[in-house]
Amino acid sequence: MLGKLSFVLPRLFKYAFLAIVFAILLMLTQSAFAKKEYQISIFLILAMGLIAVTYLSSISIPLKFFAPGVLFLVAFVVIPIVYTVAMSTFKYQTGNYISKEQAIDRIKLLGTAPDENGTTFDVVLGKYNGELAILASDSINKRYFVSTSNNKLELNPIDIGIDENGVAQTSKDFNPISVEEKAKIDREISVTRFKFENEYFIMLEGSSTGSVVRQSYEYDQNKDQFNNLITGDIYKDDGKGNFANTANPEDILQPGWRAPIWLSHYIDIITNEQVRGPLFSVFLWTVIFAGLTVLTQFSLGLLVAIAMNKKIRGRRIYRSIFILPYAMPSIMSILIWGGMFNTEFGAINTLLGSEIAWFQNPNFARFAVILVNLWLGFPYFYLINSGAMQAIPSELSEAASIDGASPRQIFSKITLPLLLKIVSPLLIASFAFNFNNFNLIYLLTGGGPRNELDGEMAGATDILISYTYRIAFGTNVQDLGFASAISVVIFFIVAAISLYGVRKSKVLDTFS
Amino acid sequence: MQKKLKARGVASAIALALFAGVNTYPATAADKELVVWADETRGPNLTKVFQAKGDWVSGYKITVKTFSSFDALKEAVDKATDLTGPDIIVGANDWVATGAKNGKLAPITLSAAVKSRFTPNNFFDLSYKGKLYGVPLDINNVAMLYNENLVKSAPKTFGEMVNFYKANKTKLGLKAGLCVAGGGMSWGAYSVFTALGGSAYTMKNGAVDVTKAPLNPTTFANNVKTYLLGSNGKGNGFFPATDAGCKDNYLAGDVPFAIIGNWEWLDYMEKGFQMNLMPVPGVKAGTNGNMFGSVSGAMLTTYAAKHGVEAGAKDLLVNFFASTAGAVAYQAIELRPPAEKGAQAKVEFTAQVNFGKAGSKAGVPQIGAILNGTTGSKSYWDVLPAYWTEVLVNGKDPKAEAVKLNDYLNKNLQAGAKDL
Repeated sequence: MLGKLSFVLPRLFKYAFLAIVFAILLMLTQSAFAKKEYQISIFLILAMGLIAVTYLSSISIPLKFFAPGVLFLVAFVVIPIVYTVAMSTFKYQTGNYISKEQAIDRIKLLGTAPDENGTTFDVVLGKYNGELAILASDSINKRYFVSTSNNKLELNPIDIGIDENGVAQTSKDFNPISVEEKAKIDREISVTRFKFENEYFIMLEGSSTGSVVRQSYEYDQNKDQFNNLITGDIYKDDGKGNFANTANPEDILQPGWRAPIWLSHYIDIITNEQVRGPLFSVFLWTVIFAGLTVLTQFSLGLLVAIAMNKKIRGRRIYRSIFILPYAMPSIMSILIWGGMFNTEFGAINTLLGSEIAWFQNPNFARFAVILVNLWLGFPYFYLINSGAMQAIPSELSEAASIDGASPRQIFSKITLPLLLKIVSPLLIASFAFNFNNFNLIYLLTGGGPRNELDGEMAGATDILISYTYRIAFGTNVQDLGFASAISVVIFFIVAAISLYGVRKSKVLDTFS
Repeated sequence: MQKKLKARGVASAIALALFAGVNTYPATAADKELVVWADETRGPNLTKVFQAKGDWVSGYKITVKTFSSFDALKEAVDKATDLTGPDIIVGANDWVATGAKNGKLAPITLSAAVKSRFTPNNFFDLSYKGKLYGVPLDINNVAMLYNENLVKSAPKTFGEMVNFYKANKTKLGLKAGLCVAGGGMSWGAYSVFTALGGSAYTMKNGAVDVTKAPLNPTTFANNVKTYLLGSNGKGNGFFPATDAGCKDNYLAGDVPFAIIGNWEWLDYMEKGFQMNLMPVPGVKAGTNGNMFGSVSGAMLTTYAAKHGVEAGAKDLLVNFFASTAGAVAYQAIELRPPAEKGAQAKVEFTAQVNFGKAGSKAGVPQIGAILNGTTGSKSYWDVLPAYWTEVLVNGKDPKAEAVKLNDYLNKNLQAGAKDL
């Protein structure tokens, strides 16, 4: 009995757990499908397939351990990378977010123009001889008519029932429809064109106002072009995500659509001086920032570690204090530092008795960024260095001391080289992390200062990732395609650094 | 045994999944439901109003979706699709141009009767390329507040304020003379910019005057030199180049004059300040700087048509958002100055009235097509704060920088005017 239970229970637990996982994934699939996110639906279905094959069969024991990791890796790393690379080949910016079909749909919707006077009528919606109709009133000029999509009938004021505002409410053969019915046929009444005069018709603005408009743009599906019916201009697909006037390519119809422009963004990065110039200076500062950060954090961390390695009174209290900046949420620290650096009211200028414009002067701003990052990061290197120093055999120092080496020589010839060997992978990892240290820059200086009056695009403290963010989301014109291209470039740089770090640390050797 | 278990396991998985799926079908803007998106302050207030009276448009249920912040709302709007998007967005006027370009907003034509309920200037903010995309909801403007404990009477000229600051800086421990507490160094500081002779555009007979340059660099720079610069060629401390700390310092009694926004007046009243609101006085007596009298709007989306509720959404805009009854009901809770004229006559708080008075005396329409434009590679919002920094902090020549400023603004004016 006990044996049977020990066989059944784990399996029951396994199938119950799988049932819950499948339930959640199916629910997400359905939700994604309903929102027309078909790629996500397909991925979730494939994930369910992989889970079923892995855990409901004995196909591979290692796969049972790897499958969840593989799925998360694909979902949150591989797919975003592929998507970013794909988007970097598109014109994907403000005005060009949607698909071409949607853009055509929207232009058609906007493709009407009001008459010269912007004429509107008070209308009552109803049926006239069984057909959807409006009873329209121009109470000022005492003009009343009934209009359907095909006919318009002028009415004599004496034949109609008028309310206290002079708006016709009833007329012979015209039956107003109830508010409930109006709601039911909302879709129909919003697109119905009620006859007016010549090329003009009336479209409803809600259920009680009609405006006089005419068609201004017409889509020719065969030629894939819009014709302006008023001016005669022709708007053709310009291959860059817009319908452009053939006589004046600057004149485009909005909205546009996401259109493939292949390597244009990458070519811009290389050839366009307006793009390349700021990008190069930002790249240079990013390298300097990450390098200086690692150097200063490591140096101070090491200094503190050496000091704390000595037996001094209150060492535990000092250690706790030194770890405090690391224990505090960095966002809070950054904001507090930001306030302290304020020119007029900040604590730093008050203490120094100075009027330094920390965040308005490029050099002071860079200094502030490095200083704040030093504050945030040195405790990490203090901890690392403390641990690493414990790992260096004390016999080496003792032997060197017996041989007559001075403490400085012991440190520079024995301790430091051995320490660097241990911590070098962490130094490289820290460099890669700071290469993308968005929070610090964004919260402290916002990438500035930048002299907008001189047309500067990049700020003095902008690093690649904050510059990318600014391009993608920070201005009125969001250029997600170009930002994706820069992200891809950053990806390759960071990947190269990481690869170098991995090789240097020979981490993978332990697996081979 | 194992096969039986496996089969049962799979069967329960499917059953559970179907159950879960059926019960969690994603919420969408269902037919005959009007979905309004709003931020964390407007959302709850609109919900209260619609709970108290829900029949603004008969035959439709009105649902308000509240977002945790203004930025969260903007992000959601950016990501909205035909299926998930709202029918009406209550948001900032400067979303109009982007929303229209991206095909998210749909135009609406108002009758003359509805239009007459608003000041014509209000429609500038919500228009793009000649089409109107929503109805004005409430007015956003700033005004200058003076601390009656420090200053005995309202200043008549800009120079009077500067002289007061210079004379009392040490004695009273003043941290600044005039600072921007609300609206930032471009929107909020427009009052100072215009008080000293600058502008982003000028209006003539209710239209933008494209023939007139935004500013005369020489005149403007001379005023900057006279009133804002010290002997070292940098700011004299009267007008800080950033807005950081302004509000706290004003509330602490360390700044005599501050430009505050009409959304934050309660903070000042709670600290005992009277609502001594006025436009920033100009360099000559009887003149004053202008402030942007922008409006927030309730905007129609293209999603409404996709959801089959376009007529209902337009009715909600007219029957509630653009009506006296709707504006009164909403602003009784929201406490901002209403844009609708009938509701304006019924506001109760002194601050609302005084902001309104300052706005009607010195307000100018905020025209996104010009101000957001980047024809000269930079928008108004970028270059005005840069001017303050370069001149007041970095000590650059005020005239040379004013020439650059004028150049950017003029390019954006010429290009933006075509989109009106």
